[in-house]
Amino acid sequence: MTETLDLADIQGGVLRAYGRQGFPKARYFFFAVHDATKGRRFVEAIRPRITTASRWDNPKRPAPFAGSHHPRVTDAVRAEGAPDYPGEVRLTKPKVAINIAFTFYGLLALETPTRTLRGMPDEFIDGMAQRASILGDTPYQAGRDAIWRNSNGQTQVHILVSMNAEMDEAGAPIAELETETAWLTRLCGESEGGVVLLTGHGPTDAPYQAMSAVLAAGPSGAPTPTNKEHFGLSDGFGDPVFEGQFPPTAAALRAIGGGKIVGRNEWKPLATGEFLLGHPDEAQEIPGAAMPLAFSRNGTFMAYRKLHENVGSFAAYIADTAKTYARVMGIADPQEAVDTLKAKIVGRWPDGIPLMAAPTHAEWKAFQARQAAAQQAGDKVALAQIALDYVNFKFHPDPDGGRCPVTAHMRRVNTRDMLDPAYPSPKPNDFNLSMLNNRRRILRRGLPYGAVDPAQPSDAGEQGIIFLAVCSSLFRQFEFVQQQWIQYGLDFNAGNDTCPLLGDHGPKDAPDAKFVIPGDAATGRPPFICDRVPQMVEPRGGDYFFVPSMTALRMIGMGVVDPT
Amino acid sequence: MPSLDGGHYFLTVLAPINNSGVVERNGAKSSPVHMVREALETLPTALQSPATEAIGLNSPFARNTRTHLARFVVLDDVNFNGRNPVDSIVSAALKTDLLTPQPVDHLPSPYLIFVADFDPDASGAAEPRAYLEALWDIMTAELNAVFCYCYGWDKVTDRASFADFIIAREVETTLPFNDYWVGPPQLPSLPLWSLAAAPGLGIVAAVGFGLASHTPWYCAVGLGVLLFVAGLVFDYGLILSWGRKPFPAAPNSTLPHVLKALYLQHAFTRFVIDHQGDDPATLKAGFRTFLAANRPADLAGPTQAAGVIK
Repeated sequence: MTETLDLADIQGGVLRAYGRQGFPKARYFFFAVHDATKGRRFVEAIRPRITTASRWDNPKRPAPFAGSHHPRVTDAVRAEGAPDYPGEVRLTKPKVAINIAFTFYGLLALETPTRTLRGMPDEFIDGMAQRASILGDTPYQAGRDAIWRNSNGQTQVHILVSMNAEMDEAGAPIAELETETAWLTRLCGESEGGVVLLTGHGPTDAPYQAMSAVLAAGPSGAPTPTNKEHFGLSDGFGDPVFEGQFPPTAAALRAIGGGKIVGRNEWKPLATGEFLLGHPDEAQEIPGAAMPLAFSRNGTFMAYRKLHENVGSFAAYIADTAKTYARVMGIADPQEAVDTLKAKIVGRWPDGIPLMAAPTHAEWKAFQARQAAAQQAGDKVALAQIALDYVNFKFHPDPDGGRCPVTAHMRRVNTRDMLDPAYPSPKPNDFNLSMLNNRRRILRRGLPYGAVDPAQPSDAGEQGIIFLAVCSSLFRQFEFVQQQWIQYGLDFNAGNDTCPLLGDHGPKDAPDAKFVIPGDAATGRPPFICDRVPQMVEPRGGDYFFVPSMTALRMIGMGVVDPT
Repeated sequence: MPSLDGGHYFLTVLAPINNSGVVERNGAKSSPVHMVREALETLPTALQSPATEAIGLNSPFARNTRTHLARFVVLDDVNFNGRNPVDSIVSAALKTDLLTPQPVDHLPSPYLIFVADFDPDASGAAEPRAYLEALWDIMTAELNAVFCYCYGWDKVTDRASFADFIIAREVETTLPFNDYWVGPPQLPSLPLWSLAAAPGLGIVAAVGFGLASHTPWYCAVGLGVLLFVAGLVFDYGLILSWGRKPFPAAPNSTLPHVLKALYLQHAFTRFVIDHQGDDPATLKAGFRTFLAANRPADLAGPTQAAGVIK
């Protein structure tokens, strides 16, 4: 039997990315617990309001292929009349999705038993600040937001309550978000000092972290959420797909490019245990977790990371390097050089079309034209094919990175089949395919924060991404990708080169930070080396959270993890 | 496979530690093996990151350019893996008393394990003595601190007696790690016919004998089986003797070569970045300057320092 998830037991936001489900606005609140009993009462008051993974009806959902500027596989599923979410419709979509998570010290402050706490993984106990040297965060510790710099003693972050909200027509969060904020603040006040709301987000020391999708004028001129971040790049493709996340038809389609590659080059969903505790994982075992199992099952871990984007440095570096690139490569159109350079760094063109589907500028333009024609004609078959082209690719045809550089951001963080050591073999039966990638996947949730004036991009403003990585082992999945694939290059035969986008590029103007665009033997295009890459992204703090199931949340709130 | 393999010498040494009694060092009284651990933990490692480069305290092995890799391990005792599992049905049939404890084995003393991978002298004939004597010259104090509680250390007074001490405790390295081959080397392989030859000849001889002599058929068959098995035994010896041949040395794989290669990789990357898109004449002139400044063939010329991992 295939995996059937207990959706009402799993918190929302694990199976779905709220940002893509009509919740482009968010507020994240962080609390310290000063009194265990009052803290548990606070948790119990929030518990009935938690949004779960249950299937809901969304009367406002656009028709397939109408909701976003590029076709998505989920639209292809819906266009076939198949459900794109598991289970029965039980609820109507809420206007504000509320969720909760805890740090290790939060669980301790709420008097979770030692027997449970001692089963928690090392990295979760350490917390993100203690793991700075592993994550490559050490140089940026002093620049973190006050809430993270001061996360110790009475102001240590214990509880995260997140609110993801719909947007009104003016592009502001709907009024209900303010109502819910008042409700949460009141609950905190009623605890009489037992639970304290921690301030210190951004330059204004805000009481919560506000987030918003980057908005752009839609067809009617009204602000519409986009999948862009502040560098102007499209984000959120290629999220992992796991067993139980989708009903069969949707799973079969969504697994293409999102799952694992097995057998004779087939895509299958990843094992549930990679993203939810208490389920078999890719090692074909139920990984060890905090006891009792009912406490861990259907829960997961989440890294919350505030990543500041140096939009000024990014724009200036691209503009400057594109001039050399255009000269060396003989590109006449300056914009073509800019777009190509961005695509080589990311692995996708600025609109998200992957280099593996459109390796050259001309092919990118042809892809765009094909997409526009299909959208114009409403050709659902062509649109479904295009939707798949965004995600359905392997790196086997491009071992040296002539199309997509081996150290491009996208290729580093999701290596697909690239690390298969058997690829030189002429016998496909020898291939291991995505084996070395399957245990390193993370569900990427989160939204951008702040705003940028595209005409005058500046590093100084408050803009970036709240990056949320959801996985069942932060050490094996999130930290491995961050340490070995973002902050190091050895797995790609790239020495110490870090990710051109997210990596630590060392002191300002240090000559060593470089990014190699491999040449292409087929066309005779020479390689190009970008050097003195500036710091594009700076971590501004964050922490590791346990996202409990509804069962575990009740145990925590009622104080009955150990019922004796 | 011998200790001298792939153009490198793979030294493996097992030195038993005299852990009896209490010793005093820097005012602290403790067991000898604890002192060995302390000496090892305070021995600087190679400079493996820009941050450690700033410290400037390098591994003593970096004082010459012969050691590729060195490692010390303290082996307290053999690990006890628990009872040997037995099938419960077999135990019942043999009436084994499962409550009787199985023996737990121990080492007579803790061991200091020392492994090093180094460049031998030209023929390797004088190794490991030449290397060990040179090692004594560059790190006498450190070797004393690490080995001083080993049995027999009291006889070590100079470079020759240090080499004697180590050689007496050396074991053959049977699985060396050759990591400087970029692609698979051209290895002579044993052709299948040479393995088939000996058993085949045995059978042919037995058939010939059976036809030529008028002995009963079973004598010829018996002889055939005998000669066939003898042929297999011969093959076994043949394979082992081929296996004992050292792996060929990778070209340019001495430590000075490796350091120069790493240096050139850095320097050439910088050269490429600085000359991207240059016209051929400028590129040519630039490359001449690069060659003059970096002298690629000169191992003694500009190179990367030993013990620095960049």
